[in-house]
Amino acid sequence: MRSWAPGRIALGGTAAVALLAIVETLVALIAPACAPTDADWDAAAAEVRRGFRPGDLIVAAPAWADPILRVHLGDLIPPEVAARMDDDRFPRVWEVSQRGGRSPEGRRGEVRSDRSVGHLRVRLIERPAPTVTYDFVASWREARVSPPAVLQRKVVEVDQRLRMAVMTQPVAGGPVVVEYPHARLGRVLAVATGLHDTWARKAARGTVTARLFIGDRAVDLPETTDDSGWTETRIDTSAEDGRTVPVRLEIRSAAPRERYFSFAAEARR
Amino acid sequence: MKRLGTRGLDRLVAGLLALFAVVWLLAVEGKQGIGRDEAQYMRAGERYWGWFEELGDNLVHGHPGRSFATADIDRYWSDNAPDHPVVMKVLYGLSWRAFHRCHCTGPTRWLHPIPVRGRHITLPLFARESTAFRFPAILMSALLVALVFWFARAWLPRAAAAAAAVLTLAQPHLFFHAQIACFDVPIAAMAFAVGFAYWKSLRDWRWGIATGALFGVSLGVKHNAWLMPFFLVVHYLWMRRGDWRARRLPRLPLAFVSMLVLGPLLFFAHWPWLWADPVGRARAYVRRHLEHEHYNFEYLGRNFNQPEMSTARKWLRATAPFVETGFTVPVTTLALAAIGGVVLARRRRGAPVQPDGESEEPVADRASWLRPGADVDRAPGAFVLLQTLGPLATLAVPSTPVFGGVKHFLAAMPYIALSAGVGLAALGRAFVAALPAADDPERNPERVPLTSRDDSAGRRPAPSTRQRLRRAAPLALAGLVCLPAVVETRRSHPDGLGHYNLLAGGFAGGASLGMNRQFWGYSVLPMLPDLDARAPENHGLYWHDVLPDAISMYKRDGRLSLAVGDTGFGEDGIRRSQLGILFYEKHWAKYEAWFWEIYGTTRPLFVREREGVPMVTLYERPEIARRAGAR
Repeated sequence: MRSWAPGRIALGGTAAVALLAIVETLVALIAPACAPTDADWDAAAAEVRRGFRPGDLIVAAPAWADPILRVHLGDLIPPEVAARMDDDRFPRVWEVSQRGGRSPEGRRGEVRSDRSVGHLRVRLIERPAPTVTYDFVASWREARVSPPAVLQRKVVEVDQRLRMAVMTQPVAGGPVVVEYPHARLGRVLAVATGLHDTWARKAARGTVTARLFIGDRAVDLPETTDDSGWTETRIDTSAEDGRTVPVRLEIRSAAPRERYFSFAAEARR
Repeated sequence: MKRLGTRGLDRLVAGLLALFAVVWLLAVEGKQGIGRDEAQYMRAGERYWGWFEELGDNLVHGHPGRSFATADIDRYWSDNAPDHPVVMKVLYGLSWRAFHRCHCTGPTRWLHPIPVRGRHITLPLFARESTAFRFPAILMSALLVALVFWFARAWLPRAAAAAAAVLTLAQPHLFFHAQIACFDVPIAAMAFAVGFAYWKSLRDWRWGIATGALFGVSLGVKHNAWLMPFFLVVHYLWMRRGDWRARRLPRLPLAFVSMLVLGPLLFFAHWPWLWADPVGRARAYVRRHLEHEHYNFEYLGRNFNQPEMSTARKWLRATAPFVETGFTVPVTTLALAAIGGVVLARRRRGAPVQPDGESEEPVADRASWLRPGADVDRAPGAFVLLQTLGPLATLAVPSTPVFGGVKHFLAAMPYIALSAGVGLAALGRAFVAALPAADDPERNPERVPLTSRDDSAGRRPAPSTRQRLRRAAPLALAGLVCLPAVVETRRSHPDGLGHYNLLAGGFAGGASLGMNRQFWGYSVLPMLPDLDARAPENHGLYWHDVLPDAISMYKRDGRLSLAVGDTGFGEDGIRRSQLGILFYEKHWAKYEAWFWEIYGTTRPLFVREREGVPMVTLYERPEIARRAGAR
């Protein structure tokens, strides 16, 4: 049997390190050229604009490229879309990707077109999407709050991501009630909650409990904490589909300091 | 011409390595922006210079005591106190005073933190004032490179020692910090100097005194110095484990006595701010760092800004120094360091690290507090391991603020490079040994025909190709393993903080992994010409994380027009602005929301990116663009 002499191991080790050094050097030299250029982005943007329809969602993959995407297509991505509650309502998704990235928004549905543009790839994905029968954020002016408290529609930051939401603050000693008297429901009511602002989440630890009343039916939402992020709950409202009912949200916190409770909700069919 | 001996040649190589470091850093520092902290240290350094200037005046006028009155001291030295001691800041101030090209009496006169009395007479080495401030930090980086070579040379052949020195500097994150007027590479250099002196003190009492003096200087550089004794004590106790086995206490060595005595003395002597109330102010300084707030820092997709509460997050947080090291040090360096670690671990007691290296055989029969390593093997493997793991482990404690990332454990990096040098030397030696040796008269004289050993005149014959290969192989290998580190470092500049290695996938890979990209607003510099050109809108410029001191320095350097404005901080700053920038860090997301709401658009005018990864965004009010279009 032929044994592995120390000399062979040494040669093998040296060769392996030398090969690693060569590969690392080549990658360092070549990798910068693999990044998309401005021309790639311009061409990708032109491709999207050719087929874009109002109501389409445009996303970057990986998501960290989103600011560059908005340089080129930001006029088609208003704050309501960029800071969306989730992507369910969008029947068509344009995904501009690089380096083999895939977006969560582009995972379901059928790919209708797929084109490589330089170092970018543009895919159009179509998928079934619900109709939104009532958008609680867009309709925030219809809401009443008691006792009188801050209630505003705002781009909030929850878990370092931006969301268009309605923001209010719990108060000591009792619930804050936000009521939408005329919400037209669908089959599902999707509700998302979270605490706004990194610094507020750092400064305080209080939790917020929320209970949703759909007509007379009460649904407890998950507790909102510093670490719970943007938590979505889907409530079956088949029984109320097509009806206009009052929807009330009661929030409480034993430690309300610096708790910027934010929520978004959509009734969907 | 007189041939250099081994020591002379080593000194020459050390000098050339240091020169290489200075030239490389000076050649590129101008492309790297000025961060929040650096701008403050420049300001403080200049203010400290003001005290010396006034002291000179008081001496001339015969009342030097005025400069030592508490009010006078505090007027200058309370700047950036109790945050940091002043050794480096004083050097930054002195360097600025000595080496800037003076235009201080011109329009930027009002941007100085102390009154400008007249044109400064200087040796105008540097066109930019910021370079003059940075020069001492660059010299400290060069000193570190030379020290690594010097230390490594006791263990390793010249080529491997030189490679260790190059690999110390050729790390993107360390290189970033090596050129700026901060303290992180200076304290890494001092930590290495203290470790080096301690190591030498184990067999030479003179270095014991030097250890204390260097430790005292370190205490004046940055508070990381507090940790140095712990790592050294653990090594010392391990090295003298025979004493424990013999049930006797190891003697307190001179090095530690020297550190105990000279450390505090030098610390209190060097910092005038302490003099008014040494105990109270020293306590304030210590508390400042023991109770330091947790800034925001992104690691593996999560934002860390406070001590973790859950066990899972604590564990995740604890991995940060190790994962960050694994993702930022060039991979070839890491591979060699791992091999070096194995070599050090397998070394037999008493044997040198490499066959031609310094012996670890005891040189005395009995221990002495003056030479406490003379009668034992000094445990070089344990020394390197502790100096490497000590800083990393400290930052792995979940309650330690995580902000700053790699800069907080840079002291480990020279030892990783040293270990890489050990690995390289072992590979080189084994490789040479494995080469065919049939005609090598040095390795195998009996197999070489007699006629080829000496010619008729008694001269050695010219070396054969194989002999040349044998000699050139270690040098070539050293060059080859340094190549990726140098290329990777060059690639990373000037955004070394956002750069990640081959394992992580470069800038893009780091972003996908959710690793920190930058901090403290340095990365705006490449955008300055564009911002400067956008007059008059730039009169209402929102600077986000670029602090006024940095803006002042950009103006003093001539990189920004004096008319460029600063609308202040936060939401109100954006409301007042016409243009604004935003740095991409996870915790700044809220600021982008303000831009969207206040400017009414999600569309940036421009994004400064590295290899496709956003670093800084420029927003402009849409009405400006519309007006420009109408024009």
